[in-house]
Amino acid sequence: MNYQQLLVIIFIVAIVMYLMRMLPLVFCKGKIKNRFLQSFLFYVPYAVLTSMTIPEVFSSTGGVISATLGFLVAVGLAYFGQGLLVVALSSTVVVFVVNQLAAFFKF
Amino acid sequence: MENTEVNAAPGFKEGLKDGIPIALGYLPIAFAFGVAATKARFLLWLTELMGALLYTGSGQFAILNLIQGGETVLFTYALTIFVVNCRYILLSLSFSQRIDPNMSTLQRMLFGFFNTDELFAVAIQQKGKIKASYLFGMTVFPYISWLVGTIVGCLFTNIMPMSVAVAMGIVPFAMYIATIIPPARKSKPIFWVIVMSVILSIVLECTPFIRGILSAGWIIIICAVVASVIGAIMFPIDEEEDDK
Repeated sequence: MNYQQLLVIIFIVAIVMYLMRMLPLVFCKGKIKNRFLQSFLFYVPYAVLTSMTIPEVFSSTGGVISATLGFLVAVGLAYFGQGLLVVALSSTVVVFVVNQLAAFFKF
Repeated sequence: MENTEVNAAPGFKEGLKDGIPIALGYLPIAFAFGVAATKARFLLWLTELMGALLYTGSGQFAILNLIQGGETVLFTYALTIFVVNCRYILLSLSFSQRIDPNMSTLQRMLFGFFNTDELFAVAIQQKGKIKASYLFGMTVFPYISWLVGTIVGCLFTNIMPMSVAVAMGIVPFAMYIATIIPPARKSKPIFWVIVMSVILSIVLECTPFIRGILSAGWIIIICAVVASVIGAIMFPIDEEEDDK
């Protein structure tokens, strides 16, 4: 493929991507009145983030054991009200340590 | 006299700060993309341009795969990015109900470019309406991190120890977890919507027949729509009192 083709592809994909992100923000300025739609949109983020996490999180770290422990640490810390940075860093550290141990002890 | 109520809402500075964990999570993803694109013999400027314009991890990998496969039909590219990132339409719609109604069209068009899952996950933790200045503050570090991570991936394929990059794979998921657990503790309906999504996602992802026809992008959409519709039917939210 030559550069001209690649550039056309990148620009077209970029436009589609941008429109998906931007149009709902611009065209849905007012408050939605319908109670069902309101409720639906209220629950959407939790449902989307959950289905993005499960089950993908368990294959995100190169090992099911480290991923599971990282996942449990994240859930536990989030449950006790820790912020994003603490949750993200702690689970990364746990995953890193477990991965190192796994490599060392070959489990 | 300053309006304390408006000033109390987080602004640009708080946004910058809240963008830091997101930026941290983007480094390894952008890095991985830089490495993958370089291995696919993309030149640095093209890889960086792709990252700068698309600004979507999952989408960029999907498009890179198609290019490597030699796909020439443009519609296939458009359809792929649509399917992989279809959730953005839902998230942006939900977002539209949470951001400051006074945010101008131009501001929305500009912010729309930088809107990502992770930004959304962090922003919705704000109580009440989200200010434009907070949103723009949040976009700064993640986008810089995305650009820098991509370049570093292109230039120094071996500079970040692989063990660290691999461990950081959990960062986006840890952020999603940190976003959904605290509200789930306080609200039974949210808790049940999450439980339904977990069950649906596991059932759909782990049924080989379904996994064969549906991409991960569609499965996320189906889970989210079904769980949210059931949630909306079973637990309609109280109509919010009109803002005075």
